[in-house]
Amino acid sequence: MTLTEFYDTIGGDYGGTVARFMGEERVMRFALKFENDPSFDKLCEALENGNVSEAFIAAHTLKGVCQNLGFDGLYKVASEITEILRAGKTDLGDRMDDLKAKYGVVITAIKSLKENQ
Amino acid sequence: MAAVKNKKLKILIADDSEMNRAILVDILKDKYDAVEAEDGAEAVKILRAHSADIALVLLDINMPKLNGFDVLEVMNKNKWIEEIPVIIISAENASYFTERAYALGVTDYISRPFDVSVVQHRVINTLMLYEKQKMLMDVVEEQIYQRQKNNSMMINILSHIVEFGNAESGPHIQHIRIITEILLKGLNEVSDQYNFSHEEIALICTASALHDIGKVSIPSEILNKPGRLTDEEFAIMKTHSAIGASILDKLPLYKDEPLVKTARAICRWHHERYDGRGYPDRLLGDEIPIAAQIVALADVYDALTSERVYKAAYSHEKAIEMIKNGECGSFNPLLIKVLDVVADELYAELHSDTGETDDVEVRQITAEVLSQKQISASGRTIAQLEKERNKYMIFASLSDEVIFELSYSPYMITFLNGGGRRVGTSEIVVNPLDDEGLNKCCGKSRLQDIALLFSRTTPENPTVTYEAEILLDNTLKNCKLVAQTMWSDDEKPEIVGAVGKISPV
Repeated sequence: MTLTEFYDTIGGDYGGTVARFMGEERVMRFALKFENDPSFDKLCEALENGNVSEAFIAAHTLKGVCQNLGFDGLYKVASEITEILRAGKTDLGDRMDDLKAKYGVVITAIKSLKENQ
Repeated sequence: MAAVKNKKLKILIADDSEMNRAILVDILKDKYDAVEAEDGAEAVKILRAHSADIALVLLDINMPKLNGFDVLEVMNKNKWIEEIPVIIISAENASYFTERAYALGVTDYISRPFDVSVVQHRVINTLMLYEKQKMLMDVVEEQIYQRQKNNSMMINILSHIVEFGNAESGPHIQHIRIITEILLKGLNEVSDQYNFSHEEIALICTASALHDIGKVSIPSEILNKPGRLTDEEFAIMKTHSAIGASILDKLPLYKDEPLVKTARAICRWHHERYDGRGYPDRLLGDEIPIAAQIVALADVYDALTSERVYKAAYSHEKAIEMIKNGECGSFNPLLIKVLDVVADELYAELHSDTGETDDVEVRQITAEVLSQKQISASGRTIAQLEKERNKYMIFASLSDEVIFELSYSPYMITFLNGGGRRVGTSEIVVNPLDDEGLNKCCGKSRLQDIALLFSRTTPENPTVTYEAEILLDNTLKNCKLVAQTMWSDDEKPEIVGAVGKISPV
């Protein structure tokens, strides 16, 4: 999978991100690193433990990372979750399911991106 | 000035996301050294230890422990914000966040998702701006130094001309200046009555050089007469103090300058006596301005310890003794006490070879001038403080005690040299009362007792002592806590923090 195909698959902004990062090489390096970012796991864990403030920080971090990397689809859901948690609410409706699904797509896509390396 | 060519400037990157930090490090690493902090508390810790080294901070807002605003508060409290520019990088774009950040002194606010080249350019621009500001501060410092130096040079030359006809002159003016300075500083130490600023001390010392200008109008036969003066000659000699003052009074310009006013007081009244039996005005006690009292004492001490046409030099000890016994005039008892306290220093200074204008003085004055304009002391002063801090750390590492600093805003404890581990917690503890490790170490109620003791201290009684059996190095031990609270300089002092130690009894 090429980087263009990767961004198409995950619903991300290839052109904008490459422009902001001044080149494809840097985008590639950090997109591959996304696998190791712990904020998604932290968010799930904090929600299971009912810790809203930790969940907020984790969601906020995830949102920031996705935004930086131009993972727009995942960013949008993370952003919605961040705002619900910021208001102190825990009822996330189907947003977490959506987030998990989109996160799964990104992780799978990263694996095929890696195979092409 | 930072050595831009030889050394990469250090940038502190505070962001809780490793990924975000890695991206920033990646885009800055070619030109800068990046130091990373994964939360606000770590950022504060790094700033505390290296504030003179950090050229810029890139700061995230939402972080665990201390958030970006907390970090900015600490930077304001410690005045680091005046030396170290901060650029916020945050996804929070609401005006509430940007306004608050600017109010807390940040230089720039970059929204996520950021553009690599925008970050690079804003970092460069900010660093250049601050570098320029530092350069300007150095220029100001240098100019004040030059001005001060030229002033004292001019005054020294003129006073030497005045005293040229006076065989005894020689290093007299220099001596008076040194003695005056030591006495003024000693007076500050011994008593709270005057609290001279560095600037006032410099002013009085400069003015002291003019104390004998009235002698221009005394015939040199009288001035340099080897034997005792007749009553008539002495009467003429005595006019020099009033004449000196009137010379300054007749100055067409500068009459109202503080330097001239001080010099006038010194000229006219440096032969008054505390018991009211001096001349020309027979002022009594503290009617004599303190500057004149001090120069009078300096004058007598120097006259005693110097060789004159009519006498040999007395030893330092003998001179002090004679002054204390009231053999050479009558002085303010407070000044006699000061003389006693500074006697050794006086001897050492007058017998050392060091030049006169010391840059320490100039730097202090510069710092004072600048601080009046809400600019803090220069980087050099901060580097100096850091040196002190390092010394302190070395002492701490040599001791068996747990040493800590407490700050109130934010409410946190910083342990030095692994002390946190020894009491079962981390090196930086935010909200200590709720800290699991500390609660385990000495129990909730004891923690609250100690906090209460701290809150009951006053600037006059700042010490806290407390003894209890606590978990130190995982063992129950009888320990003693000794701490001292620190207070702001405001008119109504506020508690700002404390330093203390915990040691096994």
